[in-house]
Amino acid sequence: MVALVVVSTFVVLVLGVLVAGLLRSHADILRSLHDLGVGVGDPASTADGRPGPAAPAAVALGPTAGAPALGEAATVAGVTPAGDARAVAVANSDRLTLLAFLSSGCATCTAFWDALQAPGAMDLPDGTRVVIVTKGPDREVPAEVQARTTGRIPVVMSTEAWVDYQVPGSPFFVLVDGATGRTVGQGVASTVAQLAELVRRAEHDREPGAARRRPDPSSVGGLAREAAADDVLRAAGIHPGDPSLYPRTLDDVFPFGTPAAAPPGVANAQPVRTD
Amino acid sequence: MATIGAHGIVAQLPDGFEGRIFVRPPALGATYPVAQFATFPLPDDIGDFGSGAVNLMGSEDVFATLFEYGPESLGTALFARQGRPETFSPDDFSPIVLRRGLVGQSGTQWFFTEAGRPFSFYAVLGSHILRDRLVPRVNSLLTSLAVSPAVPDVPAARPRWN
Repeated sequence: MVALVVVSTFVVLVLGVLVAGLLRSHADILRSLHDLGVGVGDPASTADGRPGPAAPAAVALGPTAGAPALGEAATVAGVTPAGDARAVAVANSDRLTLLAFLSSGCATCTAFWDALQAPGAMDLPDGTRVVIVTKGPDREVPAEVQARTTGRIPVVMSTEAWVDYQVPGSPFFVLVDGATGRTVGQGVASTVAQLAELVRRAEHDREPGAARRRPDPSSVGGLAREAAADDVLRAAGIHPGDPSLYPRTLDDVFPFGTPAAAPPGVANAQPVRTD
Repeated sequence: MATIGAHGIVAQLPDGFEGRIFVRPPALGATYPVAQFATFPLPDDIGDFGSGAVNLMGSEDVFATLFEYGPESLGTALFARQGRPETFSPDDFSPIVLRRGLVGQSGTQWFFTEAGRPFSFYAVLGSHILRDRLVPRVNSLLTSLAVSPAVPDVPAARPRWN
């Protein structure tokens, strides 16, 4: 009788340990799903808590605070659907560049094709540049890509860019910080609104010191304009009090000659088409 | 270093440059290739010689365009020079050469014939006082360009059914 009680107690203890292990494993799985953005309460879920119709997994476009940058961002070079050549450098401004890797035959991409070609309506951070990248003409039909383009943003066909950015499939998005020339986020998003929110979050998370290497002539004014002008003058060796800042004659203002002195053939030999 | 090429023009873009080589739609009349390069984000809807783009330049930026003219220009005095300049010096740039004069900027424009095609090369510096630093960037772009003879677009050259 005593032996039976001991055995039963032992079995109950073992089963208890197993149940505790299973519960812990389940909790780990739920936590991981939540971290991936598809857990209970995820924005992509419906009101009653069931998952939404389109929740393509990893939404990781915005970097978490303190996360390391993802690497150097390569120039996207290829051809346009019309057969012209196009290269987009992503490290030649201080702003964010959103590379959208899309396909013409991808149903999920349709909403992104439409929305990304009117980025002003997406409420992206000011100055965010949007570039659509498809595979090259060897993998895509240029006419089908052409039919989806509006000409308002660059559309580059480049299989090489898909390789450079290790794109697993479409749609896929890469966010580059031009100030550092590095990829700061990449992944997929299920909706246009979700993508825009992730870009806004990435802009918010940018390191303060990373921004604004150069002035934007269209937006700089007041004190910022004055500071930008001071930077340029200092870089040229012109400091406060420099005589060149206080012209006394017309020659001081036009040291290379007045417009009337333009060499013959230069001012008049203008291009024949749009300037 | 990215390489782009179309319409008989190839560019091995120096670091920081982006560009495009295109032909405008024939609805505008006879059109010929245009190649534009910049060290800043180049909008898609700019003029051949940079209107709509040069106003976006920072002081350390460079813009350049290689513009092909029609074959009727071949043999004229303006295009008598054979081959593009090898390099530019800071003295080649002047504020009065700008197609669209913007304070602080300067430019240079050269007409020449290369590979049997008449071109002009027009470059703008974001800041004339920084020309010693910016002209080498223009030169690195200039030397990266390659031009091949034009392929005549005549019916015999087009593919057709037997």
